[in-house]
Amino acid sequence: MLTLVDVSYRYAGGESPSLRDVTLKLANGEVVGLTGASESGKSTLCLVASGLAPRTIRGTLEGQLSIDGQDMTSAPMHVLAASIGIGFQDPVAQLSGVCGTVFEEIAFTPMNLAVPRDEVIARTWAALAALRIEALAPRAPNTLSGGQMQLVAIAGLLAMQPRHLVLDEPTAQLDPAGTALVGAALARLAEGGTSILIAEQKTDLLSRICSRVLVLDAGRVVLDGPAAEVLADPRLDELGVPVPSAIRLRRAIDAAGLMLDIPADLVA
Amino acid sequence: MPDFLGQPGPTPWHRLAPLTKLVIAIGTAIAAVLVGGVIGPLLLVLFGVLLPARAAGVLPRLMRLSLLLSLPIGVSALLVNLFFYPGGQQVLFQVGPITATTEGLALALQTLARILAISGAITLFYLTTRPADLVLDLERRGVSARVGFVANASVQAVPSMLDRATTIVAAQRARGLDTQAGIWRRVRGLVPIVGPVIMGAIAQVEERTMALEARGFTRPGPRTLLWTPGDSSRQRLARWLVVAGVVAVGVARATGLLSSVAWLG
Amino acid sequence: MSQGVQVPTASPSGMRTLGWLRYVAALVVFAVIVGAGIAFVWDFSVEEATRSWAILTAIALAAAFAAYAAAEYWQTGAVTSISRQFDTRTIVLMPIAIALNIVLGQAVGAALKIPIYLDSIGTILIGALAGPIPGALTGVAANLIWTYVLPPPFHSDIAAAFALVAAVIGLMAGGFARIGWMRPRPDSSGTTLLVGGFVAVGLVLLMAWYAYDRFYGSQGLDLFAGTSDPLFQVLAVVVGVLAVAAVIVFAVLLFMRRDVTVAYVVVAGIGTGIVSALISAPIAANLFSGVTGAGTDFLVAVFRQSGSDISTATFQQGLLSDPVDKLVTFMIVYVILISMARRTKARFPQGEYLIERGAGGGID
Repeated sequence: MLTLVDVSYRYAGGESPSLRDVTLKLANGEVVGLTGASESGKSTLCLVASGLAPRTIRGTLEGQLSIDGQDMTSAPMHVLAASIGIGFQDPVAQLSGVCGTVFEEIAFTPMNLAVPRDEVIARTWAALAALRIEALAPRAPNTLSGGQMQLVAIAGLLAMQPRHLVLDEPTAQLDPAGTALVGAALARLAEGGTSILIAEQKTDLLSRICSRVLVLDAGRVVLDGPAAEVLADPRLDELGVPVPSAIRLRRAIDAAGLMLDIPADLVA
Repeated sequence: MPDFLGQPGPTPWHRLAPLTKLVIAIGTAIAAVLVGGVIGPLLLVLFGVLLPARAAGVLPRLMRLSLLLSLPIGVSALLVNLFFYPGGQQVLFQVGPITATTEGLALALQTLARILAISGAITLFYLTTRPADLVLDLERRGVSARVGFVANASVQAVPSMLDRATTIVAAQRARGLDTQAGIWRRVRGLVPIVGPVIMGAIAQVEERTMALEARGFTRPGPRTLLWTPGDSSRQRLARWLVVAGVVAVGVARATGLLSSVAWLG
Repeated sequence: MSQGVQVPTASPSGMRTLGWLRYVAALVVFAVIVGAGIAFVWDFSVEEATRSWAILTAIALAAAFAAYAAAEYWQTGAVTSISRQFDTRTIVLMPIAIALNIVLGQAVGAALKIPIYLDSIGTILIGALAGPIPGALTGVAANLIWTYVLPPPFHSDIAAAFALVAAVIGLMAGGFARIGWMRPRPDSSGTTLLVGGFVAVGLVLLMAWYAYDRFYGSQGLDLFAGTSDPLFQVLAVVVGVLAVAAVIVFAVLLFMRRDVTVAYVVVAGIGTGIVSALISAPIAANLFSGVTGAGTDFLVAVFRQSGSDISTATFQQGLLSDPVDKLVTFMIVYVILISMARRTKARFPQGEYLIERGAGGGID
């Protein structure tokens, strides 16, 4: 369980806090969506939840970060790296840039954390299998396409079998097939007890995989509840969040006065 | 353990530990400088560069590359020393107001021999060793993983920066930048290319820093290595012998022993 | 309020840590070794060795650094002032800085054949952002990689020998940044601008006069009244034009931005150039008889023909090219720095010294 209590964060050299009094609980196995207009603090919250803010990017943090009840607010980054993984939108910058093969690239985190050699190899094969990219193992990372690179980056996150995963717009570079693969792997992870926080503008995606959704506005949490409720909330428009297409369809039908009976699984 | 990792090289020379090959390359280069004269460096080229290159099967490539490398500086050295040696007495020939002297020729040949030795030793090392393997070898022996990271990343950074520069040149050309003009145009033309290359590189620093730290890069102490290049006690002995040899040459040089051996002058 | 920034805080019982003691220790060691070297060791009958005081300086510098680190370790049980400069961000920037050195040095120095090198851009940039030690190490690493690792066409045979020069350049760049010489000062008062302008322009003109004097003065060009005249004239003109261009850019920056730091940067550049010439001349003279394959070789030839021996000729050439080269490089680095966002600079170890004072919101 990853918990943030009353967290406020201001970037180094920033004039005002980018996050204000955010409280967030990520239970094991939960897939939580995070959305909001641009500059509402989604990425900042991802950085705080992963520990990068303030450890790597400096800045001032108020409030508490705990994992399974243990206060980790002062823990160094490499300790958090063992239990929290974070993925970003641009895969090129996420790759280490020094690994000659995709295999070594995926093994990068367990190697850094001094996991025993045999286990590193086993975990790397498992991560490759989870995303069905075993064929890419001997390739050089800089010869991959953008979508392949993103899959490799996510496989690199899976290699550590993290308890908590934070993803900042991870499917931006993926085609539908890749998105489906990633979605399936995330679902399996969640079944295994990993909690996942996904920040996305694409609320369609969130409506499909998340059980809970948070909406941010100007650094504060304004909505927090079950996905179906939050994504159907009428305030989404004024908060600058695109409404999922299924819900827009439902509203259009209602507004046109049609009495159509739409099966539940089409709207969900 | 996947079979595409840790592939041994094609010849016994290739299979030597990277550190051994490095010591031999640096030792040859330093010895060539210390020994001075013409015969000394040429002997070093023969035994330290040409013979191993033949054993490794890279002799043709080495000669091509090495000569290519040394050509500009070799020509410069030859011309400058041959013609502009102050105080040269014995005149060889004259070209207009410029005279070539024997003393100048001697110095020119000395410098050329030295350049050949250095360039040959380095090219041999480059042709038979992958930089990543050398970094692994050093990391296995206790060099910090962060140093290894800088070394590996630096080697990759140059070609990738040139790639980016080429892309930007193409983009600028599409916008009408003239890259074929004379020197002044070219200098002015450099600016719209250098700018994006530099700023693009700096922008990536922040993202890569975050990615590395989130992947445990800051953990102190050694990390797990998937494989390491092999070594042997014979190679260790050879390395120490090379070092001792270089030191001996240095001492001989410093104490004037070498100058007394006529044919080395 | 937590920051999570890890700084080892070993404090020895009751001893106040006097930072300046470490510098004193380093200076003492440096002076002792150089003095001993000159007095005892450098009495060889071998000509080359007596002139290679660059090697002596290298040993002295390394020992001084070790003394500094040892003093800090003895005082505080850790070497934080050094390790603090090497956080992950610095480590990520180093390869980029190294690549900048090599790519620009190769493109400009080797290809364009003008008497500037532009091969220390990365060194000076990282020296300013991260500190003197990363700057020095970047310089050394770049030169070593340039020679020992890279294949043609990126290769340079001679670079490794000048690693020491690169180290000193990095040290100086870091030092200048640390004392605030690269912190923008927009809205400087009129008087400050005038004084700064005079000092800097004066230095540049002094340099340009030296160049003119060397070429056209009594020691120079009358021996070449005939065929070679145009070539050397062209080279002199190029050097002069570069200096003038630097002055123009400098004036523009100075007065448009009302930023007197430009004057500081000019002085820093010329100073670094002079030191760089002092150290690189013996190396070029002794190892390569003054020839480095760059566009500067003909300058050396000129000086040699006019009677100077190899060492003096390379030194004269260095005193021409190096200050101009470093001046241009420092200016480029300063332009890069002022183009970087505050947020970006703030995260680097020396970032706080590169941001204008009082511009709202301090560094946390």
